[in-house]
Amino acid sequence: MLTSFVRSGQKVILRIEDILNKVFSSEQNLLYYHGAMPNFCMWMLFLSGLLLFAYYTPTLEAAYQSVEYITNKLPYGDVIRGIHRYAADAMLLTVILHALRVYFTDRYREYRLIAWYSGVALSVFMLIIGVSGYILVWDERSFIIVTKITDFLGSLPFIGSSLASAFLNGEVISNYTMSMSFFLHTGTSFALLVLLWVHYMRISRPVVNVTWAIGSLISGIILLFAGLFPAISGPEAKFTVEPSYFDIDWFYLWLFPLIDAVGNIGAWLVLIAGITLVTLLPNFVRNHDKEPASVSKDHCVGCRLCSIDCPYEAIYMAPRNDGSKYKEIAVVIDDRCAECGLCVGACNFDAIELPNYKSPQVMDDIRIALQS
Amino acid sequence: MTQTETQSENKLKTKDEVKVAVIACARSVNLEGELSATKLNGVSNCDVIQVPCSGMIQPRMIEAAFNAGADGVIAMGCQIGDCHFREGNKFCRERLLGQRPPMIKKTVPKRRLKGLWMSEVQVEDFKARVEDFKGYVAEQLVEEQKGN
Repeated sequence: MLTSFVRSGQKVILRIEDILNKVFSSEQNLLYYHGAMPNFCMWMLFLSGLLLFAYYTPTLEAAYQSVEYITNKLPYGDVIRGIHRYAADAMLLTVILHALRVYFTDRYREYRLIAWYSGVALSVFMLIIGVSGYILVWDERSFIIVTKITDFLGSLPFIGSSLASAFLNGEVISNYTMSMSFFLHTGTSFALLVLLWVHYMRISRPVVNVTWAIGSLISGIILLFAGLFPAISGPEAKFTVEPSYFDIDWFYLWLFPLIDAVGNIGAWLVLIAGITLVTLLPNFVRNHDKEPASVSKDHCVGCRLCSIDCPYEAIYMAPRNDGSKYKEIAVVIDDRCAECGLCVGACNFDAIELPNYKSPQVMDDIRIALQS
Repeated sequence: MTQTETQSENKLKTKDEVKVAVIACARSVNLEGELSATKLNGVSNCDVIQVPCSGMIQPRMIEAAFNAGADGVIAMGCQIGDCHFREGNKFCRERLLGQRPPMIKKTVPKRRLKGLWMSEVQVEDFKARVEDFKGYVAEQLVEEQKGN
């Protein structure tokens, strides 16, 4: 059942892509840059965040005023703030698109496990960055978020109270809380880069850049939203007034309605179950028996073409000491091999073959077919 | 002189008589139920040989098809930009265009060699393209004979 569900999802995606190819050509097909689009949004966030960083003050007294200063006084400050706000939404949307596409096109398991696991971790990090970003503004919403997160963390058995005081950076909300939120926001952002390095591991030549046209389109949409719906703060947070209501950003703040609905422990269970389920998705499908490419010592001339072409960095060249006149030999790392045969296509010497699709056999098949 | 050239000199072929070999990525056009052994249903004289990815197609496989009597050869992969194995169709196209080693031999009649990039769902479109190609190959055979 799962397989047929995935297959029909794939058909839908392929039909959409076919239409996009006809409209935009395959060079400018948005769906062919599903991984590069979140990356583009991330760099927009880094750049706009850097500009905000220059004027932001992470203290209880000054935070709200500094954000107001950026928004109202600084030339184009409101634009930069709007870009930072909507690029975050765009990043989440494109990440969801990316995840759905790799899931439905069956490109998330076996030799792609590292990318899937690191992708889940990246998404969790994005949630932390998003929520902590809403604290920095220090309006009434920020105040509610801080109190709710403190309760949420504190509700965990054994480690709860330590986590809560680590988040508050003390026992009460103070300037140190703001420092911690600022750290969670920017520090975790830089951790994204490390995780991205893991995400790209074992992928030769990952597509990390969008085209100029797609980049302009995404920037244009973000700018349009920043202009039409400017990012503004609510009333400043005051310890004397307990706010009871705030606007929910369904991209990053969905955790709070969830807590209201099922309680702190319930929300923890939902969160942990959700992350576990997504992480374990590759385990719900049985992997086929591995039959990696194999190299023939007698035929390999050490030309390197297969190791260059391998899209999963599964082939490396090793020095050769067996008396052969060639200096190097290709070596296949079995676990990384996707059994795609790209190395076979690159080899002119019958030196690397898939056990199930040996190239002399394919050529025989061609001859037999044409003579029948 | 290759076998193909000998054939085209001997006898001109009509579109229906043109023999086409398609070396296809198993993940591109879904041919389940469309093949009787290797023959494509609904299209005359068209054999399909499937490989895991178009990136696996060696120039020598294309030569083998021409040498075995194909008048035209199609190398087919998924839509460019989409490849289950990331870069297979791109590499295949570059080989067809002579931009990536191993190169296709000069003796291969490149005008009768076609790259086709289609997705799983484009079965009917694929058949139409094969028919078009057969017509084109028939014209090319005439042209080639005039040239001789």
